[in-house]
Amino acid sequence: MDFRNLKGERLRRVIAILAVAVTSYYLYWRVTETFNPNALFFSWTLWCAEVFGFFTTLLFFFTVWKPTTREAPEPLEGRTVDVLIPTINEPVEVLRKTLLACNDLKYPHRTLVLDDGSRDEIRELSEELGCIYLAREKHGNAKAGNLNFGLEHSEAEFIAVFDADHAPLPHFIDRLMGYFRDDELGFAQAPQEFYNIDSFQHRVSPEKKYIWAEQGLFYYIIQPGRDHWNAAYFVGTCAIIRRKALDDIDGFATGSITEDMMTSIRLQSEGWGSAYHNEPLAYGIAAETIVPFHIQRRRWGLGGWQVFFKANPFFIKGLSFPQRLCYLASLIYPFEGFQKLIFYVTPPIILFTGILPMHALDIKYLLHFIPYYALSIYAFNEMGRGYGGNLLLEQFSMGKFLTYISSLFAFLLPKRSRKFAVTPKVSGASSGRYLTPQILVVLASIAAIVWALAFLLLGERSDEFIIAVNSLWALYNTGLGIGIILYARKKFSQKRENFRIPDNIPMFYRYENGEGREKRIAVADNLTHEGISIMTIGKAPSVRKIGLELILPGGNIETEGYITHSRTVKANGHLASRLGIKLNGMPRSRRDRLTRYLSSSSVSKFLGEFSTRYETHLERRLKKDEDLPERARRARSWLPAVVTNGDSRPRYSSIQNVSETGCMIATEIPVEPGGPVKIRVIVGQDIVELDGTVARTIRLPVEDFPEALMGIKFDEPENESAKYLVKIADQIGELVE
Amino acid sequence: MMRSSRIHYILLAGVLAYGLVISLVKIDYNSVFVDEAYHIVMGRQVAAGEYCPGCPAHTGSVMTWPLFASYGDAYGGLYGARIMNMILGLALTVCIYLATRILAGKDLGLLAAAIFMFSGQALYLMKLATYDMTAALFLGGAFLMTVAAHKADSPAYEAAALVTATILLSLAAITKYLLPAFIPVFFIYVILRHGMLKTLFFALAPLTVFMTMFFWFSPYPPNPQVIYQIENAREVSSLPFATIFDWTFRWLSLAYLLAAFGLFHEKYRRLAALLILVSTPILLIHIITRAETSVNKNVVFAIIFLAPAGAMGIDHIAHLFSMRETNRAVKVFFTVSVIAIVWVYGINNLRWLEKQHPDVTPVIEYLSRNGFDGMTVATNGWDGVMYEYALEEQYPDARFDHITWFIRGDENDRRLDERVDFIICEDDYYGKQYPSERFRDILDSDCRLLEDFTIEHSWGETHALVFGRR
Repeated sequence: MDFRNLKGERLRRVIAILAVAVTSYYLYWRVTETFNPNALFFSWTLWCAEVFGFFTTLLFFFTVWKPTTREAPEPLEGRTVDVLIPTINEPVEVLRKTLLACNDLKYPHRTLVLDDGSRDEIRELSEELGCIYLAREKHGNAKAGNLNFGLEHSEAEFIAVFDADHAPLPHFIDRLMGYFRDDELGFAQAPQEFYNIDSFQHRVSPEKKYIWAEQGLFYYIIQPGRDHWNAAYFVGTCAIIRRKALDDIDGFATGSITEDMMTSIRLQSEGWGSAYHNEPLAYGIAAETIVPFHIQRRRWGLGGWQVFFKANPFFIKGLSFPQRLCYLASLIYPFEGFQKLIFYVTPPIILFTGILPMHALDIKYLLHFIPYYALSIYAFNEMGRGYGGNLLLEQFSMGKFLTYISSLFAFLLPKRSRKFAVTPKVSGASSGRYLTPQILVVLASIAAIVWALAFLLLGERSDEFIIAVNSLWALYNTGLGIGIILYARKKFSQKRENFRIPDNIPMFYRYENGEGREKRIAVADNLTHEGISIMTIGKAPSVRKIGLELILPGGNIETEGYITHSRTVKANGHLASRLGIKLNGMPRSRRDRLTRYLSSSSVSKFLGEFSTRYETHLERRLKKDEDLPERARRARSWLPAVVTNGDSRPRYSSIQNVSETGCMIATEIPVEPGGPVKIRVIVGQDIVELDGTVARTIRLPVEDFPEALMGIKFDEPENESAKYLVKIADQIGELVE
Repeated sequence: MMRSSRIHYILLAGVLAYGLVISLVKIDYNSVFVDEAYHIVMGRQVAAGEYCPGCPAHTGSVMTWPLFASYGDAYGGLYGARIMNMILGLALTVCIYLATRILAGKDLGLLAAAIFMFSGQALYLMKLATYDMTAALFLGGAFLMTVAAHKADSPAYEAAALVTATILLSLAAITKYLLPAFIPVFFIYVILRHGMLKTLFFALAPLTVFMTMFFWFSPYPPNPQVIYQIENAREVSSLPFATIFDWTFRWLSLAYLLAAFGLFHEKYRRLAALLILVSTPILLIHIITRAETSVNKNVVFAIIFLAPAGAMGIDHIAHLFSMRETNRAVKVFFTVSVIAIVWVYGINNLRWLEKQHPDVTPVIEYLSRNGFDGMTVATNGWDGVMYEYALEEQYPDARFDHITWFIRGDENDRRLDERVDFIICEDDYYGKQYPSERFRDILDSDCRLLEDFTIEHSWGETHALVFGRR
């Protein structure tokens, strides 16, 4: 995201200042004129929760006042880099993918696997893939201790760190190494991105091609904002750190289970600078269900308390004032648990008892409250520059409020309850007990509404407006609770273990049909190294075993598979089938090749189609007509095609999406923008020919898989062939729904 | 699709049936109110072509509601007149449903109908035999026709709808003295939406013709006495700004709160803003003039427009609170929950409104037991027309008049006319006046207290004193 060209930046800041002024007045008015003298404790409690919200908003506005936009400088050449991969109990397959990706890193480096689990299979894996395996005898200081153990075996000038589930893209080191031309730079950090967008902490709108990630606000706006104040922080993965800087602080900081924040604070207090490069360069696995989410956030909460009380950056020497403020903003978030709890219990208390935390809830109160609240939300969304998603953030606050509160108790309890808990990397058995707080909030809210309305109906109470307003508030909390419960339950019911990557890869499949061997073209989709889906025009084969040939750039992969299920629909005069395939007997080398392709090219392709930000209201208002290119509706397509540009031999490809005016294809023969292409789309026995011009070309980053995404504009827009394809694509889409 | 459509109409019928049942169940919630008695009596006189002494002082046209009331009265007495208003109220709800349906689809139409029908004001005015519901129906009809003109697919239909809207708005304006306030709003809207020429031909011209005919042909058109009466009522009830503000919003706060959510509706936010603006004249009149008189009834004219905006608000609330959950049941749950709040809120308001006017049943029963045909009753408080109407079948020759008609002598030696048999003294609203104090000397010297009836109201207690001659 280039924040330099963002419209309305000045106005956005004026709105933020206005929101701060209005909120200050509101809070002053609340404390001086509205407290209920008969319920002072209640009044103060709610007010404190409001003040906390104001304080965090203020710190947020300060942090994101001027987010940076960095362009990667040319990398430093000829430096030594060691990649450290700490692991403890992650599955071998997860680590295998990461190590394969590390092997694909273009910059010369060594990969050190730091296994705190001391597992033989990891030793074998490391040896097989040419990585250095290290395992300590004593496992003190959790991840930080493990990383320091790695440092003892490294003499490299730079240390790259990845979590065991984070597969870097090949140019990861090249992108970040340039920042170290600045001799005072201690570390360079890239965002922590996740590819499993159906995780608990993602929300996806396939129609709008939009992904909301719970950590998006942090990685896309808060970190660039902190970067402006030289306060970007190391998040424990996806970063490169100067060894000299680490030596200055005696290695990775121990003493907190969030070693990353402590390490950042120490580095910056020693005068080392930081850089945040806001471009996804590695992809990991986000918490699949509420269980790992809860474990992860509890760990963060506990680490936050530890840093807050033991190494509070406000009292550490060497940090600048803005850095202190930025760290304060990151440290006080576990308090949010208490703030939210107050907001969740206030309406039920009012509805059950009739006791108000203010002396009157009348139109005067609303005339103060509504402008303050509306302006605060508006300013937050604007300053979030389209990464906010206030409502979803609120929903997640509901999901973790008790997690943060419990982390404080864990901090206060004896040390053994503060064990470093690794976030589980694969979905598995889940427990509904993590939803108990949300269920209780929902039940209490609904019971309180029913109670109050019943009393109002019976004429036992007459505070109808108070009941109405608080019922709406309680309903809002109910909505937050129901939202998180239903989504979490959906994730619980998900049976598959690995996220399937929705890339379209052209392929052939073969089977015996009684009359002989038949070979058909299709498109593979929903891929993992264990299974795929196939979309094909024609009837589903009646056999179980089939041969497969995936057409990948740089060489095809042949294997076998079993059809586990199939479904057929009619699509514009054709039959279209979707087959579920379990891959079988694929040799390790081919399997690794598929894994490497999926974790680099496929992930880049499918995530590249999504946007992680929305246009803010201000941007929409300031947008001129010329900024609004008309874009025809695009249908996701599962059709194979043959693409030629006149100079090269034809290549099989797949249409990623199609509209009446153009299409997007992934192809091995990139054509520069402006160049002509001829596309022959294969629809069963029919061939649909289309001529077009390349509008844009995105080359994918892996050298072993030379491939590009090309946006193509049809020379004759809205022609019958294009309409025909859109219709087929729409109907085939029903198979996926 | 068919099933969902059937459910929709069943729900709409349910909303209307609810209004009807709630109104009918307690149709006898109160003895006849003074305005009800006035209107019915005036209507009878106009219908019979008799001289109508009260008509020149009536603040609306006697050719609309009073006539309807007298027809209802002819068939079912007071309850007949009240049932007339129930029918008008149901028709108004249908108008609101149709207008919202045209603007924002049938689901929001249903929600708007529910918001209106569940409001305390609508339910109360459906069983109060005064001109408010008639005026509201004309206004609601004008609203429907204005919306229909906007969506018209042919110029002829557009013209017909505009002319009908103008005539209905004119009828509303002559029925209730407050409603001319909507005429400028209507004209601004029509000019902006349909252009100057169409406004001239299909709105201004019909309005001019209608008003000219009304002033020319109608018996008892508005005269200075009415204006004086309105102004007097305003002065008597003038409240401090903060009080009138609170009091007005006491009745509208939920409707405005829901409508305010409509301002954030993805699709209808502008429409919601427009509807909120259109609803404001009544609010402004009360706040600017600081007149509290009938504010809790008059807000019904604002609710006509706030109901569709509120429906948009509820739709947005349900969308917002369901947090993008694809399961439709979640959205339905929140919609039903908010409607339940609106419903209980309305019931509570209705309960308050039903007990705002004095229930003088004990006085009527006392006179029924102890009075006689041909008796003369002096009244001081609410007008004697209440008792005259309530007891006319039993005592057709009884006379009920204000006490000032029976004062004899000079200022220092006031006496009560010999013919007076009973004196009824009632407190006015909220204890602000205790009129009988002005006649304490007469009551002490010529009369003796026979009964002191305590009347319970939603806002406190008042007393009705019945005196006899010494």
